[in-house]
Amino acid sequence: MSRLKRFLKMAFLLDILQGLGVTLRLYFSRKVTVQYPEQVQEPAPRFRGILRLHRDEGGEPLCIACKACQRACGTNCFDIEGKKEEGAKVMRPVKFDWKLDRCSFCGFCVEVCPTAAIRFSREFRLTGTGKVGLFFRLPDMYLAGEDLQEHLCAGCRRPQ
Amino acid sequence: MTPFVAEVLIPVGKVVAVILYPMVMVVVMIWLERRVVALMQGRLGPNRVGFQGLLQPVADAVKLFFKENIMQRQADTFLFNVSPVLVMFSSLLAFCFVPLGEPIMLGSYNLTLWIAESPVGLLIILGLSSISVFGVIFGGWASNSKYPLMGALRSVVQVLSYEIPIGLTVLTVVFVARSMDLVEIVRRQEASGVWYGFLMPVSFVVFWISGIAETNRAPFDLPEAESELVAGYHTEYSGMKFAFFYMAEYAHMVLVSSLVVILFFGGWLPPFPSVKALSFLHAAPGFVWYLVKIMFFLYLYVWIRATFPRYRFDSLIRLVWKWFVPLSLLNFLAVALGRFLL
Amino acid sequence: MAFKEIDLNMGPQHPSTHGVLRLKLAVDNEVVLRVEPVVGYLHRGMEKLWENLTYTQVVPLTDRLDYIASLSNNLGYVLAVEKLAGIEVPRRARYIRVVLAELQRLASHLAWLGFMANDIGAMSVLLYGFEARETILDVFEEYCGARLTIHGIRIGGVPHDLDGALVARIRKVLDGIPARLADIRALLDENRIWKGRTVGVGTITASAAIEYGLTGPPLRASGVRWDLRKDLPYSSYDEFDFEVPLGRNGDVYDRYLIRLEEICQSIRIVRQALDGLPEGETSVKVPRVLKVAPSEVFHTIEAPKGVLGFYIKSNGTDKPERVKMKSPSFINLQSLEHMCKGNLFSDVVGILGSLDIVLGEIDK
Repeated sequence: MSRLKRFLKMAFLLDILQGLGVTLRLYFSRKVTVQYPEQVQEPAPRFRGILRLHRDEGGEPLCIACKACQRACGTNCFDIEGKKEEGAKVMRPVKFDWKLDRCSFCGFCVEVCPTAAIRFSREFRLTGTGKVGLFFRLPDMYLAGEDLQEHLCAGCRRPQ
Repeated sequence: MTPFVAEVLIPVGKVVAVILYPMVMVVVMIWLERRVVALMQGRLGPNRVGFQGLLQPVADAVKLFFKENIMQRQADTFLFNVSPVLVMFSSLLAFCFVPLGEPIMLGSYNLTLWIAESPVGLLIILGLSSISVFGVIFGGWASNSKYPLMGALRSVVQVLSYEIPIGLTVLTVVFVARSMDLVEIVRRQEASGVWYGFLMPVSFVVFWISGIAETNRAPFDLPEAESELVAGYHTEYSGMKFAFFYMAEYAHMVLVSSLVVILFFGGWLPPFPSVKALSFLHAAPGFVWYLVKIMFFLYLYVWIRATFPRYRFDSLIRLVWKWFVPLSLLNFLAVALGRFLL
Repeated sequence: MAFKEIDLNMGPQHPSTHGVLRLKLAVDNEVVLRVEPVVGYLHRGMEKLWENLTYTQVVPLTDRLDYIASLSNNLGYVLAVEKLAGIEVPRRARYIRVVLAELQRLASHLAWLGFMANDIGAMSVLLYGFEARETILDVFEEYCGARLTIHGIRIGGVPHDLDGALVARIRKVLDGIPARLADIRALLDENRIWKGRTVGVGTITASAAIEYGLTGPPLRASGVRWDLRKDLPYSSYDEFDFEVPLGRNGDVYDRYLIRLEEICQSIRIVRQALDGLPEGETSVKVPRVLKVAPSEVFHTIEAPKGVLGFYIKSNGTDKPERVKMKSPSFINLQSLEHMCKGNLFSDVVGILGSLDIVLGEIDK
């Protein structure tokens, strides 16, 4: 009996029709395409976008140039120099060079920072037209806010 | 109607129409294929170029037009250039014999919706569509490279083998309709009241599957399988020559769909002619029904492509020689017996 | 009939070689005689690079080995370091690691399914598989911020905790996967074209498989019951109840079925882990600069592709002296010639797909 059934299934192309039925059903299903750039899929809160230096509420930079991030980084992205001004309580960075093309977005610098000065933003649109845009100096590290408002194009709009 | 119009303008117009008709269908098919396959896969497909992506074929054509025509130094120039032409030529020429509907009366002039009607029209079409094999083998050989050659050889064997079930199943239709004239076949279906696809479903299924194999479409598209032979016999072609192969494949698909519709599904006849309640269906002219049916079969082509994996070459050949040929022979015998007894 | 052998080259640039793999084939009229894989196009000098980095700094770089299943590389390396340094990880962290590793196995098998079906021609399955994989990658993004090079396991534990919202999200993802899988199975399992391409193709017997050092699903498809999660359990795998699917014939179809079954079993394991998540810490305190006494260790785990092993030799400093990685894909690739002999040229693609190789792992 089962041999007959198998023969009938084969003769009447039942497996073929079953496959066609699946694609037909999925033809009418909801499509998952996110039409970029009109629609943008917002990344998760912990998303590892580009690095940014942050300031505190008073506008003072949080970074104390302790170079923990430089030591933690496995790919030598950072080049930091700090100086303590006369009468200031903490050191401040005078040079904070960061290379985007070396960053592997591992997050060690963020994890070791004692003041949470350097953090990931959620900016993932990191394209540019020139390699010079991949090199970030101190003022560039503060640019833009936390979220996706500003497109930090590495190479087009930052003052050179 | 002046003689000039009747004897020069209208025939020239028909020739132009016969060249444009498959080209327009090709354009529609390019869009349809990409959109439908995408929608079946859960994504949107082209929807940027023009409304709902309808100008995408235009974008493709412009891109292919401006691409560089690369040719290898060791390639056989003449054959390399002639093969896309051959493939295109065979696909387009067959459309001269494909009737689109009953003749229309324009005043006193009887406008026939075909260029030529021949008592052996079916045979001519089958013969013409076989010429495309030459184009394939020339293209594969002239490319002077192993992958295209293998692809071309496979394609030739495939097309030649599948001609046999096509011929046998077409013979069953000819047997029942007692004519090889395509117009006559449709008129016989109208007269007998039942379309041959329902009278001889086995013929239809075997013809349809063999037609898919003839046009090198999935699941029989091993000669041009992307993931195995890079692109088979048209690997080395770029630019307009590749566009010719591409368009010729779609034109051949339209041709096979037309044949299916005419031979098995009543051509330009509306369905359910005897049901009084559905008589409004007769309001649409014949060629509208013809187009609707062709679109259904073209959609079926795309649907099948999106669904199934590819047949391996030896399974393909085994399928035709071990299953389709005996099946179509038996089918032919059954039809002949039935014709004889009934 | 003259015997004519053609040399075919499936070059580094090919739609189906899963990366930059070059296969030198000798073909006689479509029947494959010899297959010689040429690897090294993606070699980046990882093992040498790691000798200049601290143990912690190596972890994100292990992501780039098997980039389809990066968490399993992380896990393999981190477990080896913890064994070397004698670090004991809290139970909650072990359970979270199991959740992450099994989710990663799901994602890897779904990607494999898509790629293999696409190579054989069923192109819609690629998109269905990836749609399901995207839901899992979204979970990873929510957990630790990255989708592909995940770096979600640290020496000593895991970086973040699984809070209630994330657990609910994972459960939702797990509920959605069986439906997708059912669609794909309806398309492929009984399909005569699929079966014609995969049944009886690329067979390898159990004894040959063991001789070639095959591991992972291809080994289990040949009937050898060897799964490190059961036989040499790590990270609390012995506390979960799951089955190890076994095949009979060792052909491509069996490997396909086994990976599908492994997907179901992985869903089962994750559900058990989420249900029984113990309280506790998510990591132990590990010194910022981890110095390890001179010693050596070789630790293996069951990655989605097979048995992944790390051999680490320490010399008392904070950087390893030598790290050697035993990648499953590299060993599995050896058996390609044995499996392809006698089969047709079109089958090479299917067999390669069923082996599930990743060039990042092979070339390091």
